[in-house]
Amino acid sequence: MDQTELKSRIKRALLEELDLRGRTEADIDDGAPLFGEGLGLDSLDALQLAMAIEERFGVSVPEGESSRAIFASVNAIAEHITRTKAG
Amino acid sequence: MAGRERIAVTGLGLVTSLGFDRERSFSRLCAGERGIGEVSLFDPSGLKSRIAAEVRGLDVRAIAPRGEAEDWSRSDALSFIAAREALAQAAHGFGAPLGLALGGTTGGMYETERALSAVLPGRIHPQDARRLLDFPLAVTVERVARALGNVGPTATVCSACSSGAVAIALGASWLLSGRASRVLAGGVDGLCQLTFTGFSALGAVDPEPSRPFDAGRAGLTLGEGAGCLVLELESSARSRGVPIIAFLSGWSVASEAHHVTHPEPSGTRAARVLSDAMAVAGLSTSDIDYVNAHGTGTVQNDAMEARALERVFGADVSRVWVSSSKAQIGHTLGAAGAIEAAITALSVSRGQLPPTAGLERPEAPALRHVRAPNQSAGLRAALSSSFGFGGACAVLAFEAPGAELRVSSRKLTAELVITGAASYGPAGVLSGAASARYLAESAVLPAQLPEPLSLLDPERSRRFSRASAIVVATAEGALRDAQHEAAETGFVVGSAFGDVDRSVRFLQKVLDQGPKFASPAEFPQLIASTGSGNASIYLGLTGPCLSVSEFGTSGQSAVSVAISLLELGQASALLAGAAEARDSIVDEVLGSDGSRGEGGGFVLIEDLPAALARGSVPLASIAEHHALRGAPGPVFAALPPPPGRACIVAGFLPLALASVLAKSPWRDVRLYSLPVTLGQHEAIGATALAVAVAEVASGGVEQALVITADVNLVYLTRLCRYETRP
Repeated sequence: MDQTELKSRIKRALLEELDLRGRTEADIDDGAPLFGEGLGLDSLDALQLAMAIEERFGVSVPEGESSRAIFASVNAIAEHITRTKAG
Repeated sequence: MAGRERIAVTGLGLVTSLGFDRERSFSRLCAGERGIGEVSLFDPSGLKSRIAAEVRGLDVRAIAPRGEAEDWSRSDALSFIAAREALAQAAHGFGAPLGLALGGTTGGMYETERALSAVLPGRIHPQDARRLLDFPLAVTVERVARALGNVGPTATVCSACSSGAVAIALGASWLLSGRASRVLAGGVDGLCQLTFTGFSALGAVDPEPSRPFDAGRAGLTLGEGAGCLVLELESSARSRGVPIIAFLSGWSVASEAHHVTHPEPSGTRAARVLSDAMAVAGLSTSDIDYVNAHGTGTVQNDAMEARALERVFGADVSRVWVSSSKAQIGHTLGAAGAIEAAITALSVSRGQLPPTAGLERPEAPALRHVRAPNQSAGLRAALSSSFGFGGACAVLAFEAPGAELRVSSRKLTAELVITGAASYGPAGVLSGAASARYLAESAVLPAQLPEPLSLLDPERSRRFSRASAIVVATAEGALRDAQHEAAETGFVVGSAFGDVDRSVRFLQKVLDQGPKFASPAEFPQLIASTGSGNASIYLGLTGPCLSVSEFGTSGQSAVSVAISLLELGQASALLAGAAEARDSIVDEVLGSDGSRGEGGGFVLIEDLPAALARGSVPLASIAEHHALRGAPGPVFAALPPPPGRACIVAGFLPLALASVLAKSPWRDVRLYSLPVTLGQHEAIGATALAVAVAEVASGGVEQALVITADVNLVYLTRLCRYETRP
């Protein structure tokens, strides 16, 4: 899967799993922070996202501090998925 | 006057993982034993934790009355065992009048899951759907009430993990207002996969037995059980010659309005609730010797709670004993507030302190943790705290039986008015007098309604179901109509079944794909108090916020409970009502003939002096309100004659009740039956109340009767036009 398609799927997962009503894929910048300032997501969203990434992409997300870096942005999530699948 | 009297605890019943009775549970608890082991009720594989505080060896068939064995859930049996024990200790003869208030969150979820696991993935067939609705939360109260006989009033309340404590506060209100002369109040929750996988998905469970207040704590251990208290006025206990175990002398129920799963970290609101409960009792911090903490063992709760205790007790915090019972009997969720209230009452009664098991490195060294088993101390007064999901807080205060009489700051409210109303129906949200249009002969309704979720701010209503959206939008309409501030206002919402479709989707995913795919963000939206928690956080309501469940009269029951909490002085204004949304499983079972609708109503009920003080002109006065079980004839016959302009608005009026009405002074009054125009659903009675308020407020009538009934329950509210007094 190419990176553009992967990022688009990640954004769809974000919109659906986190119930970001009224937003579209275009509203989410690849490099923008998702938590805190960005989309205003919290730790409950992080848990949901971790489960969704495993369910949708077959890639598990480690618990705790390291998940913070993976969830930094759409780019970071895409990188984690690509790296894990390649490894 | 009853309102000045003390409330005596005359009976206690306990079922926990440590024992099927009070003595065994309490003595093993004080000895520091832990009733925690591998889950046997279902397969815990794939989950972060495999352990729980199960009540092993529960034989539901042996507990249920003959002929009902197949119908009873584990929760029904747990609550009946605790009820029986408490009533026996109080020397309550079966058949004597008794109010019954139970709190809980899971009810017959375990049995529902068993039914669901037999359903194949895909479409749910009608016969399966029916089995999925066999255990609404209110059914436990109904079964226990039937087994005991002559029970009333009744209520099933859910405020997540403070449910049991709220039920006890409600019982206190019934005694002080004279609605009951003796009350059985408590809480029950049986273990089930929904909560087990849900808390696991949230990362809130410790794979090892929980360690409340320990620096290395890593989450909670779930448990199950039931706790019941028999409450009556001191004069009643003395005249019957029944020993007084302890006094229930204070209570406070309020909300953080912060986050669905995270406690407000500073502990400010929790501290306020602790202080308020002491104030109601007339106790100061120097009178308190022990706090039975909520102490779940999660990082966030225990840190918040330690801060709240330090804030409330100041330097005195090093004198007051603190312990959590959850490392031994697990977190029993909706039962915890009642089980731990019973433990606290026993502690002050006997001067025995249950320890916090597993506590090795206290995180907050300023707190005086009970660590040694079988410790005794002279205890004058103690607090029992509960802090639940959605920020639902409740604190109860107990005093030793020899405690001196003190001046409490109890405030009882006598006169209630409605200062805001809104309905949700085919015309969307209608506020104030506008809802009266549903009584017009040919109401012109818009062809297309806005989607309920579009009425709310999308960021703050993420994950709200359609039902939650209708609840919040309608309640917001009533609050705006009343021009009332949200802060300090509470919220009581009726809900018969909860979100069945969504719960089934969650569970089917767990059953089909494994527990690792339990959705963490979905889980908090599936408990019975989701509606009140969401409303509290969205609207910023910091008063008591809870859900009430009662079949077809859920909306009315919410109004009744709100009136009782107002009478108890727990708030000066409460939003009360209900709303139901379309649900494919509920529609399949109850609406196959196309008769079901969706909608509901909310009113803001306010203490009259508070309403006048803020310059509000009430829409209507509540002249009388009755929650009746059994023969409603005498109350209907005793109604005052209707004025020249009056109407009756009925949510659901069974034929038998129509004939009772025909013998009352209101027999010739114009009757509007709302289900005919708006469809049948469990919140229709709440719509009826909002519509009747609108009709009174618009000047169409001087008085209105609102009637809604179900099989065993009849609700009657008489509204009068508010008259300004000289």
